[in-house]
Amino acid sequence: MTTEKKLTGGGLLFNVLEQHGVEHVFGYPGGAIMPIYDALYDSDVEHFLCRHEQGAAFSAVGYARASGKVGVCLATSGPGATNLITGLADALADSIPVVAITGQVATAAMGSDAFQEIDIFGLSLACTKHSFQVTDIDDLAKVLHQAFAIALEGRQGPVLVDIPKDIQLAEVNGCLEHLVNLKNKVKLPPANVGSAIALLNQAKQPVLYVGGGVGMANAIDELRAFAKTTGVPSVSTLKGLGAVDPKDENYLGMLGMHGTKAANLAVQECDLLIAVGARFDDRVTGKLNEFAPNAKVIHFDIDTAEINKRRVADAAILGDLKVNLPALAIPLSIATWQDKCQTMKAEFTWDYNHPGETIFAPAVLKEISDHMPANTCVTTDVGQHQMWAAQHMLFDDPSNFLTSGGMGTMGFGVPAAVGAQVSRPTDCIIAVSGDGSFMMNVQELSTIKRFQLPVKIVLIDNAKLGMVRQWQDLFFNGRLSETDLADNPDFVMLANAFDIKAKLISNKSEVTGAIEEMLEHDGPYLLQVKIDAQDNVWPLVPPNTANDKMMEST
Amino acid sequence: MKNYQLTIKADDKQVVLERILQVTRYRGFLISGINAKVNTGTHVGTIELMVRSERPIELLVDQINKLIDIKEVKVDNSASQQCIA
Repeated sequence: MTTEKKLTGGGLLFNVLEQHGVEHVFGYPGGAIMPIYDALYDSDVEHFLCRHEQGAAFSAVGYARASGKVGVCLATSGPGATNLITGLADALADSIPVVAITGQVATAAMGSDAFQEIDIFGLSLACTKHSFQVTDIDDLAKVLHQAFAIALEGRQGPVLVDIPKDIQLAEVNGCLEHLVNLKNKVKLPPANVGSAIALLNQAKQPVLYVGGGVGMANAIDELRAFAKTTGVPSVSTLKGLGAVDPKDENYLGMLGMHGTKAANLAVQECDLLIAVGARFDDRVTGKLNEFAPNAKVIHFDIDTAEINKRRVADAAILGDLKVNLPALAIPLSIATWQDKCQTMKAEFTWDYNHPGETIFAPAVLKEISDHMPANTCVTTDVGQHQMWAAQHMLFDDPSNFLTSGGMGTMGFGVPAAVGAQVSRPTDCIIAVSGDGSFMMNVQELSTIKRFQLPVKIVLIDNAKLGMVRQWQDLFFNGRLSETDLADNPDFVMLANAFDIKAKLISNKSEVTGAIEEMLEHDGPYLLQVKIDAQDNVWPLVPPNTANDKMMEST
Repeated sequence: MKNYQLTIKADDKQVVLERILQVTRYRGFLISGINAKVNTGTHVGTIELMVRSERPIELLVDQINKLIDIKEVKVDNSASQQCIA
């Protein structure tokens, strides 16, 4: 159906966004996207002005991950568009549905090295699931509908639509057609349920290896029912945290480089590994040919290309987890193995005893986790604080723990928290950051101020690039190259400059009161937590080492 | 190193050839030859791609198949052969 009303391309964009239920977008205006920002003026879509296009992209990612909706970001041509790229790469690595709209110079000027012209279409190939450049106004509506469909279809991901300025200005009938409902493009063979059930019945020591795909497939209930019916001990990837009920007695925690000892030992000893929406990432497997060396593998996934990519599957179950997990949920007789795993879990529990008066970051994060309101969403940046958050905070849903997994992007945490807070205005949103990461998108404090978003920021401050410093100490003979950040700004004064209440604590005796004050504060709050610069993240599986050869101290 | 020949059918869309070449390089395959043409009546392109790698060809086939505009990827077993590197 088309309406008689004439719209510009920019107006049509917002019509289509509204048709897809988009209420919020994140962006930054500029020359080649001015017609779209002019059309925004008449739109009901609410725009959140970020202070850097990378912030807009991460806010769109945080919005999508916290809400399950598509995140939308806007940027102008040239540097505006290139500034989106890190966020798009992050979304691609973590399979996040984002639609990025970029302005482009007018079609007549394209290819002439015009002012603020860059071939963002070409640059997008390696960092998006798909991309479009619209060169005919009559294609615009169809392309935008396709962009949303592709972002959500199958394994989700980011899609970029590049729109030249003359296309944004061109007149077109208001178009409400072309809603695209893509089916899975790749025809999936029938799930190999029979052989998988045989493997399950033969297994004496199975482990359930849960990845981010479970949350993306909205299959948390099915996963938990599978875990309960089979009784299989479970471990989680970083991005899978929250999928398994953290109170499940058979749940052993995160596996991999900074995984729990119980999780890694169970995986190394298992005779059947049931991978669910997980991709055998190198941070999970350690030395690949020594990962779960005695295990057969059942691999559930939506993406054919993940099967046999890093580890050959003995049975591949392709397709929708909501359908396939119940088909394999059968009771198993594995009581001896369950007992062994539970014993390891109890034996290798976290130790929060920490000598002296300096603050122990794992204890702070555990205390926040114990006291934060129900349905709190935690974002992180990347580094030591990220691993401590993953280890010591408990989440009951993957949409409550937003962290840059695949790309490991410093600067993710604060803008992702902005997006999460916009999507869930009544939920508590906490950004756990480090002093290195925080400074990478510190300008987004201005977005928090502008929209009075009550984001809480817990800044774990060791005045170092802590994870790199840890590796330099452990693996580079203590040659500390460019990891000292002793010249950090006064973070409390910095936050105050953005009208954000802030507090610095450096002694254990201050922790409980400060957490209480932060959680009770109505508006945004920054809690700077000074820790010992020599604190390390343990356990640690050294690079290219089997996961059972983890280091637990220096 | 093994040599493989792929025959790829794709919608005649923007940058589809660039996408195939980018994925091929990124996934660890060297291109030995390429032949591409478009049927202007059906708007379907046919790309014959000769590649070589130590990696299994299935890894590349799966990744090319994920590209949105790809209709079909076939490995021509008769043309694929062991190469002594």
